[in-house]
Amino acid sequence: MFNLIRRDVILQKRMLLLLIPFILFFVLMGSHPALIVLAVSIYIPFNAFYYDEKAETNILLNSLPYTRKEIIASRYLGAIVYMLLAVGLTCLFLLAFNKSFSLTEIAIGSGLFLLFAALTFPIFYIFKPGHLTTIVIIIFLAFAIVGQLAIRSIDELLPAVTDFMQNTSNTVLYTGGAAIIITAYLLSWVASTAIYLRKDF
Amino acid sequence: MENVVELKNVTKKFNGFSVNNIDFKVKKGFVTGFIGANGAGKSTTIKMMMNLLKPDEGEVNLFGLDYKTHEKEIKERIGFVYDGNVFFEGLNLKDIKRIVAPAYKQWDDQLFNHYIEKFDLPLNKAMKKFSKGMQMKASLAIALSHHAELIIMDEPTAGLDPIFRRELLDLLRELMIDGSRTIFFSTHITTDLDRIADYIAFMQEGELVFNQSTEEVAENYAIVKGDLELLDSDTEKSFVNIRRASTGFEALTDNSKKVNDIFGDSVLIERATLEDIMYYLNGGINHV
Repeated sequence: MFNLIRRDVILQKRMLLLLIPFILFFVLMGSHPALIVLAVSIYIPFNAFYYDEKAETNILLNSLPYTRKEIIASRYLGAIVYMLLAVGLTCLFLLAFNKSFSLTEIAIGSGLFLLFAALTFPIFYIFKPGHLTTIVIIIFLAFAIVGQLAIRSIDELLPAVTDFMQNTSNTVLYTGGAAIIITAYLLSWVASTAIYLRKDF
Repeated sequence: MENVVELKNVTKKFNGFSVNNIDFKVKKGFVTGFIGANGAGKSTTIKMMMNLLKPDEGEVNLFGLDYKTHEKEIKERIGFVYDGNVFFEGLNLKDIKRIVAPAYKQWDDQLFNHYIEKFDLPLNKAMKKFSKGMQMKASLAIALSHHAELIIMDEPTAGLDPIFRRELLDLLRELMIDGSRTIFFSTHITTDLDRIADYIAFMQEGELVFNQSTEEVAENYAIVKGDLELLDSDTEKSFVNIRRASTGFEALTDNSKKVNDIFGDSVLIERATLEDIMYYLNGGINHV
């Protein structure tokens, strides 16, 4: 299992070097810390899909002594591992450049990443290999539409949301949010496994 | 005799293509050659042996174990070589080894280095820059470095030049000296098999036509040549397929003994090559 997670480092050696200027760019631009954590976390797991969606990769991994459940588990556990790495690096750079940030902001960034991963990972497994572009376009459109709708209805939503936020204690808000995200992530894991188990290569 | 692979009544259907009721065994300690025309279902069958495809019906057992409960144990014991390169093409062999080696409990670095030297493979060059022959050698080096008991190869000689094909066959023969190993490989170059195979499995249009030892194939199948007047509805039954010409007929039989009994010296009976068998059997289907 650990080997499956480690393979991303070997595959993405060069991409990992680019990660540093990537973080630096966001930090120097003065982006919101939550956004930096989100963007940096997405970097490795989503690059990995570039390899994972190839038929050859699936034939190789499934011919090696791994089970399909392990292959999916490595993706989901790996995303958490690489997220922690991203959080660490981001904090380091923020500190180095004297930018202020709070733990809450970092937690929100991580939470958003996990939610994003939970929603998008299964899509990669639904499609047959070779449709990466289609998948990316679908995800992009879906988020663009959802984003548009959210912005359009923000005037109606905002009072309700602020009301809700004010009337709920921080502890309930954070534990509730965390519970929702963890549940979504686990459900997504189960769904991806179910899809992957049925695949033919 | 022990079987390393057992397929029982295996059926797999795709759109417009299916592999039907495959029942066959690969015997331990021998080389089995798997032949058939392109699209006969060889790759599908191999993929079911590797659990890349799941059969719609029937059972697949390797080493007497099934994939449902023993997937990892089974794959630990298999070395695989596929037609195309399945290894990350942007990586060099050193990095590919870093990814593949830890997957196997029995990975042997010394053995791997031995094959790298033997095949004269560069460790720091990206796989995509390898020639077809080098890619094949690299796959083989990886397949042989974890003491696999069963080596499964899908068209390993396709696209290779004759010299390397012969080297490969010599290497496979060398591997068989230690009698515990089994090799199963598909090919459509039948002359490869004359040099190395102990058993021949022949597949056509999704069905297994036969799985016999090379001696049995040589004993049973024959090309028969004779005059047209020898043929009637009765004698025709001893042939799988007949080609008629004004000068006489040429036919394939799967029972050369019977043909000898019926026709005796009035016909010419010649040894059928695997190519002859494939050719006539293919024609047979078209005529029906």
